[in-house]
Amino acid sequence: MSFFFGRTRTRTNTSDLAKQARDHVTKLQDGPQGAAKAEELAKVLAQMKQLLQGTHAEAEPNTEQIYQLVTGMIEEDLLYLLAVHLHRLPFESRKDTQVIFSYIFRFRQPTGPQKPEPLALAYVVEKRPQVLVELCKGYDHKESATPAGTVLREVLKNEAAAAIILYDDGEEQGSSARGVGGINPDRPQSGRGVFWNFFDWIDKSSFEVSADAFTTFRELITKHKDLVPRYLAVNFDLFFDRYNNVLVQSNSYVTKRQSIKLLGEILLDRANYNIMTAYVDRGEHLKICMNLLRDDRKMVQYEGFHVFKVFVANPHKSVPVQKILIMNRDKLLQFLSHFLEDRTEDEQFIDEREFLIKQIRNLPPAPVPPPQR
Amino acid sequence: MADEGVVNRYQVLEELGRGSFGVVYKGIDKATGETVAIKHIDLESSEDDIQEIQQEISVLSTCASSYVTQYKASFLRGHKLWIVMEYLGGGSCLDLLKSGIFNEIQIAIICRELLLGLEYLHSEGKIHRDIKAANVLLSETGKVKLADFGVAAQLTYMKSQRNTFVGTPFWMAPEVIQQAGYDFKADLWSLGITAIELALGEPPHANLHPMKVLFHIPKNAPPRLEGKFSKEFKDFVAQCLVKDPDFRPTAKELLKHRFIRSAGKVEALQELIQRKRMADVRVDHVKHPVYYQETLHSISPKDEADEWVFETVKSIVPRRGTVRSRKPSSAFSVDDAMRKLDLKDGPLQPNTPGTVRKSTMRRQPSSASRQNARRDSIRRRDSNGSPRSSLGPRRPLQPDTSFGNSGSTMRLFRRVPSDNSNPSGVDPSAREFANENQPPPTYHASVEPNSKEAMLGRRLYNKALEPCLDELHAQTAASSKREALARLSDAFALLDAVDPEGAYHLLRNLVSTVSHDTKLSHTFLPQPPQQQQQHQQHQPKTQPSQDGTVLIKSSRPSTATTLAGTPPTSAAGNSPSKLIISQENPHLASHRRRRGSMLPQPTSPTSSFSEAGRFPPAAGRDREKGGEREREREREKEREREKERERMVALALEAKFPGRAAVPGMEHCKALSDLLYARWTDGLRARWGVVGGA
Repeated sequence: MSFFFGRTRTRTNTSDLAKQARDHVTKLQDGPQGAAKAEELAKVLAQMKQLLQGTHAEAEPNTEQIYQLVTGMIEEDLLYLLAVHLHRLPFESRKDTQVIFSYIFRFRQPTGPQKPEPLALAYVVEKRPQVLVELCKGYDHKESATPAGTVLREVLKNEAAAAIILYDDGEEQGSSARGVGGINPDRPQSGRGVFWNFFDWIDKSSFEVSADAFTTFRELITKHKDLVPRYLAVNFDLFFDRYNNVLVQSNSYVTKRQSIKLLGEILLDRANYNIMTAYVDRGEHLKICMNLLRDDRKMVQYEGFHVFKVFVANPHKSVPVQKILIMNRDKLLQFLSHFLEDRTEDEQFIDEREFLIKQIRNLPPAPVPPPQR
Repeated sequence: MADEGVVNRYQVLEELGRGSFGVVYKGIDKATGETVAIKHIDLESSEDDIQEIQQEISVLSTCASSYVTQYKASFLRGHKLWIVMEYLGGGSCLDLLKSGIFNEIQIAIICRELLLGLEYLHSEGKIHRDIKAANVLLSETGKVKLADFGVAAQLTYMKSQRNTFVGTPFWMAPEVIQQAGYDFKADLWSLGITAIELALGEPPHANLHPMKVLFHIPKNAPPRLEGKFSKEFKDFVAQCLVKDPDFRPTAKELLKHRFIRSAGKVEALQELIQRKRMADVRVDHVKHPVYYQETLHSISPKDEADEWVFETVKSIVPRRGTVRSRKPSSAFSVDDAMRKLDLKDGPLQPNTPGTVRKSTMRRQPSSASRQNARRDSIRRRDSNGSPRSSLGPRRPLQPDTSFGNSGSTMRLFRRVPSDNSNPSGVDPSAREFANENQPPPTYHASVEPNSKEAMLGRRLYNKALEPCLDELHAQTAASSKREALARLSDAFALLDAVDPEGAYHLLRNLVSTVSHDTKLSHTFLPQPPQQQQQHQQHQPKTQPSQDGTVLIKSSRPSTATTLAGTPPTSAAGNSPSKLIISQENPHLASHRRRRGSMLPQPTSPTSSFSEAGRFPPAAGRDREKGGEREREREREKEREREKERERMVALALEAKFPGRAAVPGMEHCKALSDLLYARWTDGLRARWGVVGGA
């Protein structure tokens, strides 16, 4: 009986669900009253989830109902509200919200023009970029970090959505605040946009939040082979200054190790060739890297090695880089001959180490200006 | 760091277990007093991506079910990741299986609880992917919980499928192995296998290699539960083990199965836990709880001389004015030093700022260097660090802390020999042998003999060699000859000090070789009376004959043969060094029996004995026999005395090693048995000689 009841109720209320949710969510606040509201909101969200997801074997999700729900949510600006209040929702509701977001952003209209963009996502990217910014700010709270991060990683597969986050710069000219169309990719970022918060979220948060934020950050930086290299080229100094000083020097072992690894991945990505050459020209970058080789933790040394090798293998070493390498030639040769000796299984590593030793041994006695490229 | 507060919230107690992932400790949440399990994962030793561990945490942290082990917190401490989980005192089903298989009633309860857990997980879009007895934990009250989400998957969309090949082969569903896309149903196959595991003690195909199993499962008909089990149970297993996942029921559906519906209460499972505890007690499972010890960062102090030279270090530092900047320059090492202050080994590892490279070479005061050395030795003792032990020569006054740490041989300590075997007169000349670069010869700190041979060797030197050499030295007039003798004496003294066992072997081999040469053996291996005379001649003051060097006794074979009237030539061939048959050798015994009953066969396989037996004169056999018996008795007595002596030696050895077992190893018996062989074979030879003559 209850089964039938539930179903009928769901059907009749579909168009109304978004409105109900909005009413509850705006009244969410801390305290006993908020708790009561949260309870009611939880019920609504659970209904929405079930509608989107369908239940296991039974009840295929009804496309028409979903369409109604999506449009209703857009009308009520519910996506934004849920993103803002995500950390205040109860445990189960946060998970429900995560599911709702995932389904909503994925939903494509079955009929009508063959639009490449899913309906809700297109709307957000063009008209309401703040939804994505607020989802990022989910990392401000332990409670909302995981659900927000899960939604973000799903959404960031979309290049426009990634651009929104990268180019968010408040009310600045060319910021993504007025939609993806308003972005001016050639204007250097001020460093106050939401993207730059990731450095602090990764460095300063507790392990769970930090790790989740890093995963999202990695997705953002490695996924889009046109968008990101251009972005890094324009914001080279700002980006690597933050990267080297906050992430690579982080007190957190995980952050440090993962960010060195990611740095290696960024530099060795074909799409980032110009970024790489610019990076390995800088003497101070080499210094950071050489100090990583001397870290007291083996895996940090190991990840550092994979960045260091890029400097040494570069056939067009800049004068400052050559200077440092030549100045430390004997030490480096001595050091590398015993570097991570216990890695006897790792043949690639051994080969690379041998190669580096050869390269360093064959360095000219004094720096030679690299040929013009 | 944000995590620091959380770390202090938990008090870590004893170790619960360890695996490839790390160590699990029991702990207490100081805030609530609740017992927890804390998993320490050493990230530094894990090659694989930290992301995988993170994935496990994120799956666990989004679970809120009484059928899933509850995740509480996780945080970093150095390169260790602590994961705090609910403590489940009953252990895993695999552990419980060790004290016997489960009965059907118990299995039904466990299966129901697992299905409830799976129903929850699946409704959350999670696939466990590694259901097996080892991953099913019991609380002390019998509650059943799913654990180990190391390979669990979180699906974003209910309808999506996975292809990743994960799990444990024996429990893997065919569709997982075939990698053709699978979903929640895979867990139910694994549940079926787990039910069989609980009933039989191991999963199907357990005798096969895991890789082979991967071919078996998709190819063959699904395994069936066979044996004395109820129809319901067999059917339940069969339902789980439907090969086509589309026809395999869901967790929800299986909960309606008769086998499950009739299952009892979880409290019945406490019996299993009790049984395991009893079994543990019975095997005298004396548990020595291993308590958590903080290892902290094993930071090896940076050797300032090793720092890279960056000409521009100084000019760079001021540029990084921001508070957060932690450049790995000299500023960094100060920061580093600050960080180390709160480490337990901090004071021992003063981190000198990396400025030493500059023109003013700082000379370290000796106290500092001593401290360095001490620090070094301390570090050497804890095996974690990678000690850089080249800290220059040790100060003479500094205690040698490497003492007793060499660990290669048993000769750990050097000691002054208890007897006054060390004439000081030898000392100066001994120096001539010592290379300047080698440590001065340590006579007064000679090696403590700790094997039979060594004991004998030492004795040989003290009682025979040294007095002989002294005597000879005294009798020699020519200074050059005296000199040569002195050197020899010193060389022996050194050998005795360093390797008494070597002295033993030297003389033993010498005697053995001599006995091979007829002329030499005639000259050097005289008849017993002579020998005794000689002996007394050489050492008039020491105990007479019997006590003479044991070594000389080992030259007895020839003596015995002469007594038996055999020509010395055959005796040479029978020298103890060639004897291979042991006294206890059963072949020998049977051989003897045969010998007694049958006519002597000169061409017996053990010809060395029979050869000896050919020669005794037939005449006077009885007399000979009687004498033989007497001699035999004599020898018997002597053997007794010999044994007695050995016992004394053993006692002496024991006295020298108070509190230690007197016999460090069986090698002690070698010298003794060698001796006894020799005498025994002499006896045999004599007897057989008589028999042979008959």
